[in-house]
Amino acid sequence: MPTPKERFQAVVENRPVDYPPVICPGGMMSATVIDVMNETGITLPAAHHDGELMARLAEAVQQRTGFDNFGIPFCMTVEAEAAGSEVDFGTLECEPKIVKERFPDNQSVIYEDINLLLTRGRVPAVIEAARKLSQWHPDIPVSLTLTGPISFAASLVDPLVFLKDLKKNPAASHKVVAYVNDFLIAFAKLAIGNGVDIVTFADPTATGEILGPKTFDEYVVRYLGEAVTAIHEAGAPTIVHICGDIKPVKHLLPKIGADVISTDAMLSLAELKKELPGIKTMGNLSTYLLDQEGAIDRITARTRTLVHQGINVIAPACGLSTTSPIENIKAFTDAVHQSVAETESIG
Amino acid sequence: MSKELILKKFTDAVVNGDEDLAVEAANEAIASNLDATEAIVDGLSKGMGIVGEYFESQEYFLPEVIVASEAFKAGVKILQPHIKVQQGTKPSKIVIGTVQGDTHDIGKNIVGIMLGAAGFEVIDVGRDVSPKAFVDKVKETNADLLGLSALMTTSMVNMKKVLALLNEEGVRGQVKVMIGGAAISQRYADEIGADGYSVDAVAAVRLAQKLVAVAA
Ligand code: B12
Repeated sequence: MPTPKERFQAVVENRPVDYPPVICPGGMMSATVIDVMNETGITLPAAHHDGELMARLAEAVQQRTGFDNFGIPFCMTVEAEAAGSEVDFGTLECEPKIVKERFPDNQSVIYEDINLLLTRGRVPAVIEAARKLSQWHPDIPVSLTLTGPISFAASLVDPLVFLKDLKKNPAASHKVVAYVNDFLIAFAKLAIGNGVDIVTFADPTATGEILGPKTFDEYVVRYLGEAVTAIHEAGAPTIVHICGDIKPVKHLLPKIGADVISTDAMLSLAELKKELPGIKTMGNLSTYLLDQEGAIDRITARTRTLVHQGINVIAPACGLSTTSPIENIKAFTDAVHQSVAETESIG
Repeated sequence: MSKELILKKFTDAVVNGDEDLAVEAANEAIASNLDATEAIVDGLSKGMGIVGEYFESQEYFLPEVIVASEAFKAGVKILQPHIKVQQGTKPSKIVIGTVQGDTHDIGKNIVGIMLGAAGFEVIDVGRDVSPKAFVDKVKETNADLLGLSALMTTSMVNMKKVLALLNEEGVRGQVKVMIGGAAISQRYADEIGADGYSVDAVAAVRLAQKLVAVAA
């Protein structure tokens, strides 16, 4: 049997696998549910700050949920904090959030040295966690999930002003997005050098319904595309997750060049595969379903369908609610892992 | 310049998100003694109405709507001092914000913009707002409407708390409560006893108009 790391790599290289990896990449899509924290006593918000704790919590999550990866960090505010925005680190149940964006508009952005940003806030803790996880478990891939350039920029500059300027003042917008993107690329490279195997970008503010196709093409395709290329050069595969209704921008997704495209639950991945042959898909078991008590049978059935449809990587659609029962997540990963036994007994 | 041409200029300025054109039209309106209220209603607001239609049909997306609203505001700012105050007609007031635990404010802001464009006086209390802060603001401003936004299943429960506190403080009867955001449905509005729900910013304006008409 291949190791989880080999299996993921096989998917990236279009080689056949015994079963698709079932992962939860971290960041916006973190599996740090309350059940795991209560069982292990390794808790948030403390584990957001400390590399050792972060690694131990990611390890506990992997062991108890059965995901085929480690996912770090556990929120989407690491980048904005390093770039100077004010963050509320949340509680055990509640993810960190931006209290206040550092700048009121693009014009007031202070461009700092990227290498300095890499030493700030929780960046060093994330790097340390990656190093530890890759040393403890060389067979299981570590996924670093970063906040995509549009969501990151809209966490650094007041979001409404930022969105307006995408249209109104493209020059200033490009400058800011290029800056945050440079930081994301540097962060990803540093992480790859410290044991990260997969880099995932989640850009929830860059949805089709928020930006529309023109703006999506001008900013998201361009900057995520650049980041994806840089990360490929550094030797790691990439996953790009787009939230919300992607209908208006679907045709643009292949241009980003990511190895795997992940979408929200409102879209049929089987259809997306038909419409965009050649792309590899990740997803998309409903986040809401995974959060419901007594949903195990439906979770198992729905997961089997995803596997049979040939979805390349199985994952929760838009991450997990922290209240999701551990039995649900276990049923989810089990359904994928057991699919191989079934196919073997049939064939 | 004829009245029709100026009104059209206002509408075009908003639809195309052209702030300078809105300012130009406003100055021309004043120079030619065009009634300021008419300029706002039949020029600028008409433009916002068209923007709303484009938004619903997905010809326009959020950046376009925000740019349009800036042109709208630029025009209103110049016209405002020239509005002839009519006796007895006060704009309806709405306090709007995102509930505690939730920092999603893009949708709430768009709703605020569209309500402002439709003639409501909008008091935006921001995001991650406690029930107490909502209720205090309603009392302080004597608002006709309260708009609550929630995007997360974990934060939507706080809407219930706002309604409970309104009841507790004895002010529930004097304010209509409308709710919205991705996590919300009509069913949830019924369940917690809100006065209305709407799916997007354009529908929110219609709802607000309906609720104040009923109240009057
Ligand atoms: C953009 C976004 C963000 C941005 C927000 C930027 C900002 N300043 O607002 C960022 C990146 C910061 C963010 C952060 C987080 N997000 Co978020 N985010 C979204 C996303 C993709 C789009 C929201 C949006 O702006 N839509 C566009 C606007 C225009 O639509 P809207 O808000 O629905 O508003 C319209 C209507 O609902 C209505 N309306 C809105 N308010 C009101 C009010 C009234 C009175 C009325 C009448 C109508 C009305 O009119 C509006 C205009 O037409 C949604 C997914 C989705 N599809 O909704 C997730 C989503 C809301 N986020 C989610 C989560 C979990 C988070 C995070 C915890 C991190 C994470 N894991 O993703 C943090 C939480 C921060 C916090 N504690 O508040 C989840 C919530 C899941 C849940 N539990 O319910 C969602 C649903 C994604 C998902 N499926 O997982 N997010």
